[in-house]
Amino acid sequence: MSATAAAVHSLWTTRALADTAATPAIPTPHIEYAQLSPVLIVFGAAVLGVLIEAFAPRAARYAGQLAVSVVGLAAAFAALVALAADGYAQGRSHVAAMGAVAVDGPALFLQGTIVLIALVATFTFAERRLDPVAHGNRVDSFAAQGSAVPGGEQEQKAVRAGFTTTEVFPLLLFAVAGMMIFPAADDLLTLFVSLEVFSLPLYLLCALARRRRLMSQEASVKYFLLGAFSSAILLFGIALLYGYAGTVSYGGIADVVDGTAKLTPALANTTGNDALLLIGGAMVVMGLLFKVAAVPFHMWTPDVYQGAPTPVTGFMAAAVKVAAFGALLRLLYVVLPGMRWDWRPVMWGVAIVTMVVGAIIAVTQTDVKRLLAYSSIAHAGFLLTGVIAVSPSGVSSVLFYLVAYSFVTLGGFAVVTLVRDAGGEATHLSKWAGLGRRSPLLAAVFAVFLLSFAGIPLTAGFSGKFAVFKAAAQGGAVPLVVVGVISSAIAAFFYIRVIVMMFFQEPQPQGPTVAIPSPLTSTAIALGVAVTLVLGVAPQYFLDLAGKAGVFVR
Amino acid sequence: MTTSTGEAIQFWVLGIVAVLGALGTVGMRKAVHSALCLAGTMIVLAVFYLAQGAYFLGIVQIVVYTGAVMMLFLFVVMLVGITAADSLKETIRGQRAAAVLCGIGFGILLIAGIANASLHRFTGLAQANAGGNVEGLARLVFTTYVWAFEITGALLITAAVGAMVLTHRERTERPATQREQSEARVREGRNVTPLPAPGVFARHNAVDVPGLLPDGTPSELTVNQTLRARGQVRDVGGEQERRVRKLEQRSDEYVEGVTEGEGAPEGGRDRSGDNDGANHAEGAAK
Repeated sequence: MSATAAAVHSLWTTRALADTAATPAIPTPHIEYAQLSPVLIVFGAAVLGVLIEAFAPRAARYAGQLAVSVVGLAAAFAALVALAADGYAQGRSHVAAMGAVAVDGPALFLQGTIVLIALVATFTFAERRLDPVAHGNRVDSFAAQGSAVPGGEQEQKAVRAGFTTTEVFPLLLFAVAGMMIFPAADDLLTLFVSLEVFSLPLYLLCALARRRRLMSQEASVKYFLLGAFSSAILLFGIALLYGYAGTVSYGGIADVVDGTAKLTPALANTTGNDALLLIGGAMVVMGLLFKVAAVPFHMWTPDVYQGAPTPVTGFMAAAVKVAAFGALLRLLYVVLPGMRWDWRPVMWGVAIVTMVVGAIIAVTQTDVKRLLAYSSIAHAGFLLTGVIAVSPSGVSSVLFYLVAYSFVTLGGFAVVTLVRDAGGEATHLSKWAGLGRRSPLLAAVFAVFLLSFAGIPLTAGFSGKFAVFKAAAQGGAVPLVVVGVISSAIAAFFYIRVIVMMFFQEPQPQGPTVAIPSPLTSTAIALGVAVTLVLGVAPQYFLDLAGKAGVFVR
Repeated sequence: MTTSTGEAIQFWVLGIVAVLGALGTVGMRKAVHSALCLAGTMIVLAVFYLAQGAYFLGIVQIVVYTGAVMMLFLFVVMLVGITAADSLKETIRGQRAAAVLCGIGFGILLIAGIANASLHRFTGLAQANAGGNVEGLARLVFTTYVWAFEITGALLITAAVGAMVLTHRERTERPATQREQSEARVREGRNVTPLPAPGVFARHNAVDVPGLLPDGTPSELTVNQTLRARGQVRDVGGEQERRVRKLEQRSDEYVEGVTEGEGAPEGGRDRSGDNDGANHAEGAAK
């Protein structure tokens, strides 16, 4: 017996006790869940949406998704307001989640803007009264089945069965959560991950148009390839900045750039000259300029805006710009203010080229969506003039401009969804001729949006442009303001041309019809008009709000 | 610390391999070749990581990227069709030349700039790996960068949902059962038996070679309709017809020989006996 036991026991040995002294315990990270609650709520709603897709029957999904999205976004906005009321926007602003996320004025302001944009975008996503009823089912702007070959047998079957892609709601929420982190990111890793978190759902959403699906898929592939390339460039820049400063946190890099960091041998080695810093900074800024669609990184914009489903285009044009400008502001104002004599001339050039190219190429466009795409490029240029100011008024003017621009853009694209003919949306400009005779209300609303884009007084666009140009002029960039005003005049030409076309030309006999929207799209458009007029007539309250929210935490 | 001679040699030798692999990934005409080039580059990168003391990253690079992701990618390429090649026709004239020129210019600018950074020594590696490479990484991932690590989860969910949205085809109606299918076949009276098999006289048993009808013409029914739609059916009709004709001619000659000569039938019988034996052996092996 003992012999067999010994034989068996020789097959194993008792394990050595873990040497707890040799490897010190990893301290628990401290995460301020309350301060991160807006983002967490949106993530939670998104995951809930995915679960609805997985388990709810097809008929119940649309209502469930819409409810979850709206409640989630409203709750996130309430959480943001509560945080701002607690003073996190001013006195108590600090960096949460182990230095990953800043909770400060610009972050809360931009997050609030993004959540409201997303709420309005959810309404346009959920619109189901525009397309004619297909086989007894109301349909939205999204493909019946994204995987079906365009024009194929499977697609017809899916349409007949009344399928809809309700996955767009959780995808929208994921994108929103990524966008909320993006302008608040306080280290470069979080910046990169949040960039991917909001880009990936957008690539997918672009591919899901119900009509003109090949164009939509082409837009998605283009956006994905170019976006992946710009992400790679941004990541390379992050690596170089890390090589220079030995840290990825914004404050840490800023200390090294300013020369206030404790000099270690490693730092003495890398900071011998500025090559790494200059190249790294340039590449990170390049990645962000791609997202805001500044010239010369704008090539994707017209094709993607034209191909994507129009509600997605509106959401992208508004929210991506807000998020990316927020991140750009934080990067240039928190990380690289010590380098402003290096980056300001470059940004001058980019701003001038962006304004001029955006405005001039827009004149030649014949498609409404492409026209709005080039106009969004020109607006990126106007926003850059405010960024260049490097002053508190620069921050607040850009914040204000972003609010004004985004709601007008959402409203504008919502109007585009209403003008339809047999092939879906009639986006060719020639078809819009005489629309003012046929549908005066719609044409008047679109005219208001166009006047706001052009920056005519008493509209939000004018207040915004005035704010950024004033900030730029105070920052010593008077020539930039002159270029801005000239390109505004060029831009005004084509906006006014569209208005003239709508009101003073005879309608075509085979012209498009104007669909009667449900309250969802009507709300989006009405909000756009309201913001345009309120920010145009009485902008002071919102300028003050943006001014109060204009201090970054470090 | 400075770079040792061994590491320098390793870098310059493998660096060339990595760059060649990357160029191959972009330049190859067939997706399979591109994928294999990419896998090669990834393995070289893994060696770099290992040589620089990033053991965890190096192993993950091999196990996850090269082992799992790239091989899945190869599976996908094989499913899509190994012969599929992209059209490399330029749609905008001079675009490729301009792109190459810009790329080289950007590369020179970048290389010149980074080379100018003049980093002669490296420090901090021993410090970073002090408590063990994996432990050091864990400390960073679960404390300082825990937020970035967590929101990566959102990225994974999005990727999974996106893959489903773009590729999953939910059936719109109940699929016909086998019984219904067979009843429908009988009702229509066409192809009541199972469809004929592909391949010709056991010369080609590949699924992309159509079987031949008695008159030597290829039969549409024998090849899967997916392959037919993709145009991946091997067009051997002409060749097979020629071979069949040759075979017929030979058997004619043989038959003529039998009627003329004496020894030929014996040999013929022997040969057939051998064939039978071989067939039996093959059957046993199966």
